[in-house]
Amino acid sequence: MSGVHARGVRRFHFARDVEEALSLLAAYEGRGALLAGGVDLLRSLRVDIEGLIDITRIGLSYTKEARGGLAIGGTTTLTSILESRAAREYGGGILADLLHRVAVPPLRNMATLGGALVSAHPWADIPTALVALGAEVRWQGEKEGRVPVEELYQGPFRGLFRQAVAIEVLLPPWDGAFAYEKVGRTGYDIALLNACCGVGVEGGRIAWARVAVGARPDRGERLPWAEEALIGQRPSQTLWQEVQDLVAKRIEVGDDRRASGAWRREVAGVLVERALARASGRAGM
Amino acid sequence: MKLLFELNGVPQYLDVEPGERLLRLLRRLGMKSVKEGCGTGDCGACTVLVDGRAVRSCLMVAPQVQGRRVLTLEGLGSVDDPHPLQQAFLDAGAVQCGFCTPGMILVAYELLQGNDDPSPEDVRKAIAGNLCRCTGYVKIADAVLLAARWKQEGKWR
Repeated sequence: MSGVHARGVRRFHFARDVEEALSLLAAYEGRGALLAGGVDLLRSLRVDIEGLIDITRIGLSYTKEARGGLAIGGTTTLTSILESRAAREYGGGILADLLHRVAVPPLRNMATLGGALVSAHPWADIPTALVALGAEVRWQGEKEGRVPVEELYQGPFRGLFRQAVAIEVLLPPWDGAFAYEKVGRTGYDIALLNACCGVGVEGGRIAWARVAVGARPDRGERLPWAEEALIGQRPSQTLWQEVQDLVAKRIEVGDDRRASGAWRREVAGVLVERALARASGRAGM
Repeated sequence: MKLLFELNGVPQYLDVEPGERLLRLLRRLGMKSVKEGCGTGDCGACTVLVDGRAVRSCLMVAPQVQGRRVLTLEGLGSVDDPHPLQQAFLDAGAVQCGFCTPGMILVAYELLQGNDDPSPEDVRKAIAGNLCRCTGYVKIADAVLLAARWKQEGKWR
């Protein structure tokens, strides 16, 4: 948003509830936008947007335990998640690990979890982690439903949030721990590559494993073949290094203006190895 | 549209354009400590506190502060009666051109509200989103640590 005004904006509304937000949005026929933290929306607001519909005051800001996991409201700020007691313990502390690596404090005071999913930049930290964690998003539009974050940017759900509100993110319980790794040009820059891994152990062997890599430069995806290589094995540094080599061999990466595919291939293995080592340490292996 | 909010402890009730940026409104109200650097949320020169939290006023429109408390550097202290954080920046030599200083002081203020005894690492993380092209940050971090020591010693008001 350069200049002194968001140029096209004629009206600003505080929605009273989700239904009102949706009916206002529909009434603008494509020239309205839902506003939460505003970090992405107002940074490059489309000039044809005439109405802003603020959804931060309709009770969607919370972090609470739900079915052994967590439920986090769509307009919850990243800072508020970091400060919540429920989030601190979840997944071996994965949310603190992740969110401390997202942007800087004043932007974390503004940015919301729902906003991160709606913006869905391919280099973004949060979607990669939510894919690894098996998170689902509950949404409400003309209809309502739940969709795994993993499927959110594919086929039928692409563009969902043009006409729907991200109500809450549901994080399932995991008996084990996760860790998040990222490489950027500086401590707070966007990721050149990121990875989130989790493991759980039963009877000395890995019972489940989750491996996701993002900013490849494409959006975060799980690597099922890397997960299969872990399950049933005994956790060890040697195993993490075997998976590092496997990832470097098989991962699909590409070039963009930020980094080359060859660099990403090398580094993806390293990030996965580091994340696995830290996650297993946290899981008490 | 009508906007009601609190600016540096004083209620404000005024007309704003729905798309007016908070940065622009605050400067229009005389709060010239609020600087426009990049206008895209990257540099931190426009940082203000809303309900005690540091935010980028360039990435907000004015109506978003409806019913909220906004603090700018003008609300913290003055030339005649500087806040201890402002004095610490002077004493530590943490000010050169001054463009980043209001934002630096406000993110430091937010940090010290919740943490009386920050480590140098805590301070560096807190100011990581505020760019300074003069100082190299060392004296800024020194100033924040000095202000924290004064706070522990009960020298804050």
